[in-house]
Amino acid sequence: MSTLPIATFAEVRAYARTLMVRHRGSLALMLSLYALAAVAALVPAYVIGLLTNDATSHALTSNRIVDLLDVLASSSLAYGVLSFLARRRSYILGERVFAELRGSFLLSVLNLPLLVVENAGTGDLLSRTTSDVEAMSRTVRFALPEWLVAIIQTLLTFAAMVLVSPLASLASLVSLPILFFATRYYLRYATPGYRRERISYASLAGTVAETAEGARTIDALQLGDRQNRRIEANLRENFYAEMYTLLMRMVWFPISESAFALAVAATLGWSGLLVLHHVLSVGAATTVTLYVVQINDPLDRLVSWLDELQMGQSSLARLVGVSGVHDSRPLTGPEPADEELRLHNVRYAYGEGRDVVNDVSLVIRPGERLAIVGPSGAGKSTLGRLLAGTDVPRAGTVTLGGATLSDLPLTTLRRHVLLVTQEHHIFLGTVRDNVALAQPDASEEEVCSALDAVDALAWVRHLPEGLNTELGTTGHDLSPAQAQQVALARIVLANPHTLILDEATALLDPRAARHLERSLSAVLEGRTVIAIAHRLHTAHDADRVCVMEEGRITELGSHDELLSLNGSYAALWRSWRHETS
Amino acid sequence: MPHLPYRELPDANPGTPPTRSPSHYLAWLARQQRGLLSLNAVFGIGWMVSQALVWAAVGEAIDAGLVHHSPRALLTWVALVMVLGIVQALCGSLRHQLAVTNWMHAAFRTSHIIGRHITATGDALTDEIPAGDIVNTVMADAMRVGGTFDSSARFAGSIVSWLVVSFILLGTSVQLGLIVLVGVPLLTCLTIPLMRPLHRAQAAQREAAGRLAAQASDTVTGLRILRGVGGEDVFYANYQRQNERVRLTGVRIATPQAGLESGQVLLPAVLTVIVTFIGAHDVMNGQLQAGQLVSFFGYTTFLTTPLRTAIEYVISVTRAYVGANKVLRIVRTVPTVRDGATRYQWPDGFTELRDERSGVTLRDGRLVGIVSADSADVVPLVERLGRFSADMRGVTLDGAPLEEFALSETRRHVVVSEIEPRLFSGQLREELTPHDDRDEAAITVALHAASATDILELLAGGLDARVEERGRGFSGGQRQRVVLARALLTHADVLILVEPTSAVDAHTEERIAQRLRLMRDGQCTVLVTSSPLLLETTDEVYLLHEGRAVTHGTHNDLVAQCADYRRIVLRTDES
Repeated sequence: MSTLPIATFAEVRAYARTLMVRHRGSLALMLSLYALAAVAALVPAYVIGLLTNDATSHALTSNRIVDLLDVLASSSLAYGVLSFLARRRSYILGERVFAELRGSFLLSVLNLPLLVVENAGTGDLLSRTTSDVEAMSRTVRFALPEWLVAIIQTLLTFAAMVLVSPLASLASLVSLPILFFATRYYLRYATPGYRRERISYASLAGTVAETAEGARTIDALQLGDRQNRRIEANLRENFYAEMYTLLMRMVWFPISESAFALAVAATLGWSGLLVLHHVLSVGAATTVTLYVVQINDPLDRLVSWLDELQMGQSSLARLVGVSGVHDSRPLTGPEPADEELRLHNVRYAYGEGRDVVNDVSLVIRPGERLAIVGPSGAGKSTLGRLLAGTDVPRAGTVTLGGATLSDLPLTTLRRHVLLVTQEHHIFLGTVRDNVALAQPDASEEEVCSALDAVDALAWVRHLPEGLNTELGTTGHDLSPAQAQQVALARIVLANPHTLILDEATALLDPRAARHLERSLSAVLEGRTVIAIAHRLHTAHDADRVCVMEEGRITELGSHDELLSLNGSYAALWRSWRHETS
Repeated sequence: MPHLPYRELPDANPGTPPTRSPSHYLAWLARQQRGLLSLNAVFGIGWMVSQALVWAAVGEAIDAGLVHHSPRALLTWVALVMVLGIVQALCGSLRHQLAVTNWMHAAFRTSHIIGRHITATGDALTDEIPAGDIVNTVMADAMRVGGTFDSSARFAGSIVSWLVVSFILLGTSVQLGLIVLVGVPLLTCLTIPLMRPLHRAQAAQREAAGRLAAQASDTVTGLRILRGVGGEDVFYANYQRQNERVRLTGVRIATPQAGLESGQVLLPAVLTVIVTFIGAHDVMNGQLQAGQLVSFFGYTTFLTTPLRTAIEYVISVTRAYVGANKVLRIVRTVPTVRDGATRYQWPDGFTELRDERSGVTLRDGRLVGIVSADSADVVPLVERLGRFSADMRGVTLDGAPLEEFALSETRRHVVVSEIEPRLFSGQLREELTPHDDRDEAAITVALHAASATDILELLAGGLDARVEERGRGFSGGQRQRVVLARALLTHADVLILVEPTSAVDAHTEERIAQRLRLMRDGQCTVLVTSSPLLLETTDEVYLLHEGRAVTHGTHNDLVAQCADYRRIVLRTDES
């Protein structure tokens, strides 16, 4: 199993920079609004300083109070309005950026080479699609804007403090080294803890999902207690994970909070001394102290969002990583001369293992019905994948009309050869959407006749909304057999010249399967059909039967020829048809 | 990471909650952790009150220290500022710790209760509530229930600190004290209406975002098919359409969200302006000192915090109520089948299990085939034999109603393996023998019988390999054989296998048919199938029509005598 790549720090930074540059206008507007709001927020403390000065020099008059309170009221109002506008902008921008991020991630997913998808499995990709996108949502919509705002507020408040009195502001800096070291320590130990928390919640969700979906099996096999123990174990792990990060915060919080208190006390004491030495006015000391109290808030947010940002960065790396995988398949390439599929001395092995397809040569005649039979593990499905161009042989060639399969652009390949496996998936959407997956412009008649070709039209007509019935996890539930019929209807509608059916009717009951195959072959007259099947009637109905054993083709010929050959196919057939006893 | 010296969560027994109403449920939870909640409130109060009192010390430092030129007084009050700061830091940290603990207790107890329930109700629950909703309730609603226990201590702190500030002000000015005493609750009530449009917009966005996430997961789950057959463009266009919809619902949140946040700052500012205005006049008239004015300004800016906390608490209670309602919807479901009057005990060896309505009799030691033209026909019979049906009339074990045996006994003695049973994630060994009977030799025999030894060879780690969620790593045929081995390993007295080989090839099917017979020799086994390879090995076969046995005999006899049977099993009409 190969895994999907994760972007490097430099790639993530470059990606973030591109995003920022693309939205520089809105970003600048948002930050300016925030800066203006931050300036407005600085006024009240200054006004209080002026009031204090007037009070201590007994210069306070009614008019002065009204004037100053006018300023206080209007600056508060300005702050309210500006911060409203700034926040609104920031939410709107966050939604836009996040929407772009989601969209471009899904586009990368949709462009992943088939082989990469097959090899990496859906698990990793699914967790990127769900939990990493979710983590990014918090980062992009809340953490990042809040953090940028906190920086602006911190800088502007400090600037104001320095403007009032550079000397008095010095004391406010005492908290910085404490905050720096405490936070660095905290981030180093807490971040893996938050990751562990996320993983522990994902496994709880997994166990609960598995338990709810498998309720019947759990009941039948009396697995209730065991599943309950598993849920308890998950909860216990959730608890430990939470306790760990809590412990980290229990070290960090008192230290950083005390540092904030220290800054206030130190500034008050220091500026007080300056007042006593007639270097500073009482009002200025008051204002500077109020500013220190005020700066603690953005400073706190500045450091508190760091863990979230760090996690966001690692999620972004996993999202951007997917976009780095490119299809090795060319976008343009040769056009096959005809429809003849040809395997020449083909070998295939998974990883370093032994060849599961071992020196196979086979010419498939256009328009024939070929059945591939053989015991499990004989390499039938691998052969199917090689014929469909999903996998590339280790040695030897697979050609279609003289062109090597792996040189064909994906769109060309799909027009010619399509593979349907036992694996079925019903997508969210209507029956029509599911059938017309690749042919969105197909007419209702075309969709109906494809469904008819797989014996599905009757039951589709009986669905609550017929063709427009919503399917998928939230809609109408189809049986596995019905899902398989939909999968087949899909490729009937796609209408390639060669169809490879790998156990594509295995989930239907035998009679229905045979009936389906017969109506299908009527529709597919003239098309090449390669059927990998375990039910021997499929072989019986085929033009040629290919028997595979241990990676090799051991028998090849028509049903009657193989029967007269009296080999393993004949033996199996007789037992199937109850002719031995 | 090490285990911590904390009392483990969850408790072994989460208790039995009242299911009458969400309020009863929340009250019950609160009672379970009342000690922790009270302690948390103490620190919540200490934390908030010390924040308010810092302003008193700052004011005194200005008046006694700066205005009256006393370095001593300055130092004393500065020291008090520091002490109050440290008290605030310590109380705040302990408050946080207890808040998280309270949250966990409530949330995990709720998850645990749901967990216990879903493992015991069978499919009665999933018939009513989709699995996705159950996951959501555990992951989100239980957390919402916990959330209110997180914020309750801060709420207590808000109330007390608001009263403390009001009384301090009353001590110097009745007018100012009354303004704060009345103003804060008034402003809170004024802010609450701002929440309603926000909540509506958030709910709309959650729904739209949920649909988008489902669409993305759907695309990824079906990606192999999508990349194989095509249709990426359509999917991308659909996704982008919904993506844009989600963005717009998000934009619709922006105004009420920004409004609420700015309102939470702007409304208390009204209080600040009024208090400062009156205070400044009092200073002018000599009734108040300059430092006290600074304190008053400080108090009113501080009051933003209790105000915000009160609003947060109201939100959290509403959410907890909604969450508890969803939790109760799950907890209220009852299983379809439950023990009634248990009068009999399973015998050591039984003679026959009989279903009157279909006319099928299972005798001990026999391998029985059940064939029907329509596979749906057999389902009610299987449900009755396995006691999954609520209507058990006419099902008897050696003459005694099967209903009157203990359910757990019946489950142990009669095992039904349906079409597409579930595989769970875990070590293969444990998934094969979930009931702690991990005899390697027995597992090997069962895997051999299910013709599944080749799967073991392919897996790195053999029996220790991990089975993925739902057995996703296996092909359909592999999954079916593993599940068959698991069923065989139950060694049940009556083993009912529904289409056990539908996804395996004919060669393998034939092998399984032979080995199954050997392995289950002397035990009662039922094969619901139409495969001639399996039926050939049976002792007797029932042919069902519309749920009733129409004929009964050996496979060979039925092949020879019954045209319907031949048509179904040998498909003679068409070849």
